[in-house]
Amino acid sequence: MKKGLTKWLTGMMIGTLLLTTAGCGGGSAPAANSESEGAGAAKIGVVAYLSGGGAAYGQSQKEGLDLAKDEINALGKVKIDLVYEDSRGNNTEAINAVNKLINKDNVVALIGPTLSGEMFASGPIANQSEVPIMGTSTTAEGITDIGEFVFRNALPESSAVPQAVKMAVQKYNLKKVAMMYSSNNDWAVSGYKTMAQALKDNGVEVLATETFADKDTDFSAQLTKISSLKPDAIMVSSLYQEAALVLKKAREIGITVPFVGTNGFNSPELIKIAGQAADDAIVASPWYPGKENEKITKFVTDYKAKYNKIPDQFAAQSYDALYIYASALEKAGSSTDRAKLRDSLATIKDFQGVTGKFAFDEKRNPLMDATVLIVKDGQFTELK
Amino acid sequence: MDIILNQYYLQIVIFVLVNAILGVSIYMTLSTGQLSLGNAGFMSIGAYTCAILTVKAGFPVYLAIPIGGAAASFISLIIGYPALRLTGIYLAIATLGFGEVVRVIILNLKITNGALGISGIPTLGTKISKMLSSFGLSRFGGLTAQQTSNLLVLVVLIFILAFLVFFCTRLNRSRVGRAFASIKADESAAEAMGINTTYYKLLAFALGAFIAGMAGGLSAHLTFFIGPKDFAYHRTVEILSFAVLGGSDLIIGPIVGALLLTMLPELLRSASEYRLMIYGALMVIMMAFRPQGLISKETVRFWKRKLGRRINQ
Repeated sequence: MKKGLTKWLTGMMIGTLLLTTAGCGGGSAPAANSESEGAGAAKIGVVAYLSGGGAAYGQSQKEGLDLAKDEINALGKVKIDLVYEDSRGNNTEAINAVNKLINKDNVVALIGPTLSGEMFASGPIANQSEVPIMGTSTTAEGITDIGEFVFRNALPESSAVPQAVKMAVQKYNLKKVAMMYSSNNDWAVSGYKTMAQALKDNGVEVLATETFADKDTDFSAQLTKISSLKPDAIMVSSLYQEAALVLKKAREIGITVPFVGTNGFNSPELIKIAGQAADDAIVASPWYPGKENEKITKFVTDYKAKYNKIPDQFAAQSYDALYIYASALEKAGSSTDRAKLRDSLATIKDFQGVTGKFAFDEKRNPLMDATVLIVKDGQFTELK
Repeated sequence: MDIILNQYYLQIVIFVLVNAILGVSIYMTLSTGQLSLGNAGFMSIGAYTCAILTVKAGFPVYLAIPIGGAAASFISLIIGYPALRLTGIYLAIATLGFGEVVRVIILNLKITNGALGISGIPTLGTKISKMLSSFGLSRFGGLTAQQTSNLLVLVVLIFILAFLVFFCTRLNRSRVGRAFASIKADESAAEAMGINTTYYKLLAFALGAFIAGMAGGLSAHLTFFIGPKDFAYHRTVEILSFAVLGGSDLIIGPIVGALLLTMLPELLRSASEYRLMIYGALMVIMMAFRPQGLISKETVRFWKRKLGRRINQ
């Protein structure tokens, strides 16, 4: 009797499994077979963080790319096909995904991966295979040092943060500040270093530097200490979760000075979590959906119509990235020649995207201006 | 031939082999019946030692990798001496804690570049091809430089794994191996028989750490980049699951486990977003029906009998 039951259970489990496999096979078929776009379509591989803790970032990127792809294909100057691979935020997975896209799908170029660490691991593979790869969210130092074929349109922290610091120093006449950063996050540490350098360049004195860790929830010790030093402003480098809690705690214990943040501040979630406490938080962003600009308004309305939400920075930068590829493809005049595409990509300049005027410098980093934003009454507004 | 030489497949096979070596490392400690969850920690010690030696001190890779293993092994002796007084779940927790301690230390040291990790690590492949070309062997008919380097890495890894398997099978038949087996079967009885259990447990622990450290060094030179995140708790679980899935009775068990668990996510890529769900479901099913792991002594006996009969007919 027991044996019968086991057999029955096995049958059921395997049956369910087969059904799911068959079901998702059917579900993903249209995405995989989008070659029907035409024989001349340029195949671009995308490696993104589509499942796991950072899946929200990858999802935004995918949405931005899909929107851009539809528009570009509708325009008809070049045809683009996208092949997505999930990296799970894991370095070896990113390497495998890049290898698969290059050697199995024969893509002409790559977009992604989402995280800087993943880029450090998988970028060299693309570079060795001489396939252009463009990071849309890889802001860490040294990404493009990987090689000639590695590009990014993500504004590196080293360029965005100093703009925010400079603006804040001028506006609020900052003389002495305190700093806080998340010491176990590669990206936050890198942001902290740029911030410290920018403060030094602007002749601002740092009274104290306090650290915390990702996923920390209690910041009272650090903030009490900082509060007693009476700084003119507090600089924070961390992801939005911790940043929001820092803001909340700071306002609670009576710190009213402005906060300047790295890119982690640049999320609507910051305001959602911190609420009123988020006021006077300053951040430099390549992306500001409220800007008066025809292109941006159109992108925001189209994106809203399609996904029913305001595009974030990840979506905007990916959207621009595909357009940059499209104009490079157009100039290269070939949808399969990787070397030609690289060369025409490197000469891109005066490109008008939703994240502003754009060009690659000689090290394939973006040359672009960031908009310095400040939170007022629960809204990001331009700091002027 | 094209399929075999495809970079993508070569790369997967390379990861399979590195994971198989990690599988052997956990098999080593399991062969004395000790459940150590410190392998990711040892792996990171090996990886960082090796990467720092090659990137910052300019050591040749073939020296740096064994040094990485030795460093891990040395630390394991320091940790192991007090920790191995614990058994079962307590040892597991202690070694798990050790892994986290290593990660946090790495996160805060200057030489390891903290959370930013070490990037720009030279690859094993290019190193080996350079070495070969200095002997006058540069190109193999019709292969690209990348294929050559990947194939060379593959050969080196297969050689290392084969050596480890050979070593372990020989070890099992030696006095040391018998001592390991007796400790696994019953520690008190083994002690009563005059076996120095602390010594043998420590030996197995150090050997496992050495292998894990080497695997760490190898993987650092295969992924170009290492950061503290790569050696967190989930890595330990991954290594342990090779042995759990494949079975830990025989050395072939963790190797098969590593093979399956590394290939599966790649084979399931076509299922896109359902990939990890299917992967999880398969794990659950396998555990429900083969709690002892895929390969046990009985499995080998069964197939030997079956195949033997066929040959006799």
